[in-house]
Amino acid sequence: MSKWILTGAAAAAAFLTGASAPLAEPAIGAPATNFKARDANGNIVELAGFRGKTVVLEWHNPRCPFVKKHYNSGNMQKTQAAAAAQGVVWLTINSGAEGQQGHMKGPEALQFVSGAKAKPAAYLLDPAGLVGKAYGAKTTPHMYIISPAGKLVYRGGIDDKPTADTADIASARNHVSAALAEIRAGKPVSVAETRPYGCSVKYAG
Amino acid sequence: MTRLRFWMMTVLLALIAIPAAAQKPGDGPHVRIELVAESDTPAPGSDVTLAFVSTPQPKWHAYWRNPGDAGIPPKATWTLPQDVTAGEIRYPVPERLLIVGLMNYVYEHPFATLVTLKIPASLAPGTALPVSVDLAYLVCTDEVCVPEKATLSTMLKVGDGTIAADRRAQFDKYRTALPRPLGSQATYQVANGSFRLGVPYPADAAVSDVYFFPITDGVVDYAAPQTVGRDGDRLVVETKAKGAGAGPIEGVLAVGKDLGFTIRAVPGAVAAAPAGSMAQGSADSIWLTALAAFGGAVLGGLLLNIMPCVFPILSLKALSLARANDAEGNPRGEALAYTAGVVLVCLALGGALLALRAGGATLGWAFQLQDPRVILLLLLLVTGIALNLAGLFEMLAPASLNRLAGRGTGGSFMTGALAAFIATPCTGPFMGVALGAALVLPWPAALAIFGGLGLGLALPFLLLGFVPALRRMLPKPGAWMETFRHILSIPMFLTAIALAWVLGKQIGVDGMTMGLLVVLGLSIVLWAIGRRQARGQGARFGWVMVLAITVAGVWLASRSPIQAQAAAQVPAGAEPFSEARLAELTAQGRPVFAYFTADWCVTCKVNEKAVIETEAVAKALADGKVAVLVGDWTNGDAALGRFIEKHNRAGVPLYLWYKPGQAEPQVLPQILTQSLMQDLASGK
Repeated sequence: MSKWILTGAAAAAAFLTGASAPLAEPAIGAPATNFKARDANGNIVELAGFRGKTVVLEWHNPRCPFVKKHYNSGNMQKTQAAAAAQGVVWLTINSGAEGQQGHMKGPEALQFVSGAKAKPAAYLLDPAGLVGKAYGAKTTPHMYIISPAGKLVYRGGIDDKPTADTADIASARNHVSAALAEIRAGKPVSVAETRPYGCSVKYAG
Repeated sequence: MTRLRFWMMTVLLALIAIPAAAQKPGDGPHVRIELVAESDTPAPGSDVTLAFVSTPQPKWHAYWRNPGDAGIPPKATWTLPQDVTAGEIRYPVPERLLIVGLMNYVYEHPFATLVTLKIPASLAPGTALPVSVDLAYLVCTDEVCVPEKATLSTMLKVGDGTIAADRRAQFDKYRTALPRPLGSQATYQVANGSFRLGVPYPADAAVSDVYFFPITDGVVDYAAPQTVGRDGDRLVVETKAKGAGAGPIEGVLAVGKDLGFTIRAVPGAVAAAPAGSMAQGSADSIWLTALAAFGGAVLGGLLLNIMPCVFPILSLKALSLARANDAEGNPRGEALAYTAGVVLVCLALGGALLALRAGGATLGWAFQLQDPRVILLLLLLVTGIALNLAGLFEMLAPASLNRLAGRGTGGSFMTGALAAFIATPCTGPFMGVALGAALVLPWPAALAIFGGLGLGLALPFLLLGFVPALRRMLPKPGAWMETFRHILSIPMFLTAIALAWVLGKQIGVDGMTMGLLVVLGLSIVLWAIGRRQARGQGARFGWVMVLAITVAGVWLASRSPIQAQAAAQVPAGAEPFSEARLAELTAQGRPVFAYFTADWCVTCKVNEKAVIETEAVAKALADGKVAVLVGDWTNGDAALGRFIEKHNRAGVPLYLWYKPGQAEPQVLPQILTQSLMQDLASGK
């Protein structure tokens, strides 16, 4: 409990001061760093507000071919819908800096979500890269799962086929779906860390 | 260095950004790939190498097998004729590309990856071998990524395995860019979030711009800076760890531009390298290291003043300064002359050492003391000084003695030069680290260190010369000085005995006796000079005799028979390796020992020092009339590389033994023993 407060306070401090001070990337099993960010509608979303629920973080860049692979095939939307059906909070985060590939402002992001029939609980805008850097997000997509207890239980790729080829989705192991199923069954996450693949997150220089 | 490269890259990118910006992503392919076979007609039962010759567009990069923080390694899916198999893709040493905190291991320039196809022995010549491969790879700029696909094919035909000369040259170039297997195993340690890697690497092999490219994922933080140290026969790379690290890891250690080694490291204890032990990183840190080493050198030189080999000489100088206290002297001039003498000799010795090292000679500091002629020269000089101190003769006629003591700037210069020359063997224990640094630093920095050593040695006298208050603390001249001078001859004689001992070590008892006889001859002449001086007569002829005896003595020492034997430790008649020479020798029915070595290979150097170059093995090889061929792969000679690849994929060391009458050599173990070599040489 006190750890939550501490990390939360640290994150909030960084958020409020706007400093890109490198926070320790949370390790598997460690308390997930709290953050606040504006969503595409302009509302402030805080991670700590979802205590008691499983949370999925998905790093996103609509123009990255690897992201396109999972959205154009419907794979990402399917995973999001299944998660939502289980009561999981899905946060799609865009850490692309202004002027970089994939950067979006609120209206564009909303347009993307409705156009792609995506089902995130919220689409967060992180143009300064504060949330991305706090989690060590490196690629799009890069996936994180936080347990109801606020601990990081998965980080890595969406699946085990690091290609941009939609044909590979059918035979791939979807690490996020698998981990969510294990969490629901009360089991520990068997594959807790994988190598993410995709384009690099386009942080502000 | 890295920073410099980054800026250069930024500037380059900025320059090419304007035309490239017009390029829409999607206009592919951004990396043009061609599939080329080394031989279009591979022989049955042989290997044929294929190259993916890749040319990225300006500003675009393709990825290494470990792409780093983001990116994807290429994936090949082969369609091959039955029983033909393709090996793993072999990659050249990659480049680093850090983009806003994310590290990418990439190729931004034309490169070639290689794959080996195995052709089954059962195929009949003339059989067509259609080879096709689907290559999926990612190409990116700093801003965008594009996954590309290429289907490449080539038609081979089973034949005689001929390789066209231009194709051979092309592939030799590709092979030279591949990392070489570093024979010995590395060790790594993960503690307190830091990763430390210890890689065996010979202390005398030059390195620059060292970087560890991990192949095993999840061990280190790719974007974290790496620091490199050097500790004897070890390179130590330190960076931020990721994860706890367990089990063996693989990677490529880049050492300078385009030179890399594949290494495998197992967990174990890795001690940190001594601080400042490496000229590495940015240019600032090189000069920081140089500055630290310079400070160390000055301090070390200062310490040398109290060493037994220098002290007597300095005492001479102290006497002279004490006399100079009589106000008519020129203490400042003398102190400066002395300092100039010391510093110039140190610089000259350092310069000579650096020049010789650049010429490829394996030398250490105090190298001049490895030559018996120099030792004998020093022995004669020291004995002469000792006899002078003892009062047997004067350096000059009594009439000019006062002058020498008063304003002997020339004499001071010579005293300084002598002190520096004799001081060098004393440097070892104090100066090891600073001198080690001097030998890996750029030459101006290295020379500065040698100069610092001299400055330190001269410092007390410089102070004495320029601070009259210090000088006043010296005792007044008087009759005691004569007695003091005689007492000072004792350490000088001890130095002479030590030098005689060194001489005996080098050229044996006979040589030492010869040397002592020369010393006696010199003493007799000096005695005669002293007697003439006492009577107030000139002794010009005596000085000529001194010179003659010295020259004759040194000539005798260079002719010593024992010295000639000591040098005969390299295997007799070893010649550079070539396949033609090997064929010639085996055709003559001679046993041949062919060994392949490189300056960066520790195991090679250990085997050479401990086994191949020992007297016992050299004698056994000579007795067995074994021809010795040495292949030096330090610079990655392509012809040698092909030969090594044919016999042992693991690189150097490689030891091959050709018995007479047998076509195939025996591959000897990587760790040689003297008894193994002796048994082989005697035909057991």
